Amino acid sequence: MSELRSLQRRFQEYLIGSSEAIKKDIVSTSDALAEHRLGTYFNAYRIRLLDCLAIDYSGLQKYLGPHAFESLALDYIKAHPSSHPSVRWFGKYLVEYLRSTYVHEDREFLSELANFEWAQGLVFDASDEPGLYRLEDMALVPAEAWPAIRISFKPAMRWLDLNWNIGPYWMALDGDEALPEKSRNEYPVRWLLWRKNRDPFWRSLEVHEAWAIEAAQNGASFAEICEGLCEWISEDAVAMTAAGLLKQWISDDLVERVDFQ
Amino acid sequence: MSLPIDKPFLGFGLGLRTDHYEDILRLKPKQIDWLEILSENYMVDGGKPLYYLDAIRQDYPMVMHGVSMSLGSTDALDYDYLKNLKALIQRVEPMWISDHLCWTGVDAKNMHDLLPLPYTQAAVNHLADRIAEVQDFLGRQILIENLSSYITYCDDAMSEWEFITAIAEKADCNILLDVNNIYVSSYNHHYDPVDYLDGVPVERVWQHHIAGHTNNDNLIIDTHDADIIDPVWALYEETAKRFGPVSTMIERDGNIPPLDALIDELEQARQIAGPYYQPIPYYQDV
Ligand SMILES: [Fe+2]
Repeated sequence: MSELRSLQRRFQEYLIGSSEAIKKDIVSTSDALAEHRLGTYFNAYRIRLLDCLAIDYSGLQKYLGPHAFESLALDYIKAHPSSHPSVRWFGKYLVEYLRSTYVHEDREFLSELANFEWAQGLVFDASDEPGLYRLEDMALVPAEAWPAIRISFKPAMRWLDLNWNIGPYWMALDGDEALPEKSRNEYPVRWLLWRKNRDPFWRSLEVHEAWAIEAAQNGASFAEICEGLCEWISEDAVAMTAAGLLKQWISDDLVERVDFQ
Repeated sequence: MSLPIDKPFLGFGLGLRTDHYEDILRLKPKQIDWLEILSENYMVDGGKPLYYLDAIRQDYPMVMHGVSMSLGSTDALDYDYLKNLKALIQRVEPMWISDHLCWTGVDAKNMHDLLPLPYTQAAVNHLADRIAEVQDFLGRQILIENLSSYITYCDDAMSEWEFITAIAEKADCNILLDVNNIYVSSYNHHYDPVDYLDGVPVERVWQHHIAGHTNNDNLIIDTHDADIIDPVWALYEETAKRFGPVSTMIERDGNIPPLDALIDELEQARQIAGPYYQPIPYYQDV
């Protein structure tokens, strides 16, 4: 099988753009030379992956324009050949590529925009398991168990810390509306992305809610969350605020379950 | 023409595409007998793809069509992929599953294209072994599909129809005969497409694809983004004459028209096949 293997390697090297040795394996005809025939595959490889990136990063494509986006995509295709059976995951490394390798004056903005779009994709087809946790289910928690409850979030919930005003900017790009001024915050703002009834949502978080979600994710109990929230909320109002947040998370379908023993 | 006992005939189907999810779920058009899904699109954890898949499966028989088995690659088979495929098979309970007579990459890379193989005895043996291994793992026969191709290798020692037939016989698998691909490849490589039809064993052909394509000067590119052209319809008629009742579906991947337009094309297929066999099961239903 080594003959077939080396033939496949030559073909693949040709597609990736590292060698043209495959040409001698291909029949030329009077109407179409080997180069022309092979070129069909060379182009199709790039077009297919470019189309895939354009779907996953439609806002980035609109921001950069078709030419700059194509040149970025071609660089990325060269740097990160796919190794996953599904083209769904081909664009996975673009955010990191923009952040660390790509040379562009707006590099940080571009990578944050891309990060926001990739996260939307992750939210889109994350697992639905194990179903719905409802506000009514909270009635099952006995009053004395409240301080010790722990909250688990759904796999479709994600958050990102972004320096730039990516949310409103992306929305304007997506809707082909007038673009807001780009602005960079002094401190990063946390954006929450999630899915409810199979539809995507996102919003920015105030710093106390951002902290509370991260604490809950890391296994903090309700009492520990209340204690931590005292940094922003007065002690007499903190239990009410924490309960309000939890209620909001449950109505937004962020919560997978609430554990109490 | 009588139907071989073990060869199911599903009638006339379409590929399930996201643009049509809502219409199919709501209207349940009875002119569509069955649906083909692209397996990789549903190898995800949840969300809309699996929601629509499960809901629409309640109303239609399905078959699964994959692009990533890479049967012709000289890498080892990807058992992670095959395990995911098996889990999806359990979810969908398809009538059958298919992939292509191709390779998609080596050295753990994926070119996401259906790349052709040299038509040699060594390749026949390699493919047949791999298909047998896959069938063993999945516990069922698979269908292998002929490609549209733009090149021929200097090493070729047989025709494409001899190649696919030898593999199907040796691996004891069935064939998804894509009529458009035969047309495209016969144009690109200058042979008579009817010779191809005559060269393939009738009992192994379980499914047809028909589709549109783009004529790019001297080469036809298989793009699945246009209406089916008359010469492909004519070849489909030759196919119906020879193979009898074979489940047929229209592949449309780009430039996707409203569902009604595809249903009209499907009716055209039904009418073309009509004189050669009873185009059940749609007519049986009414
Ligand atoms: Fe096909």
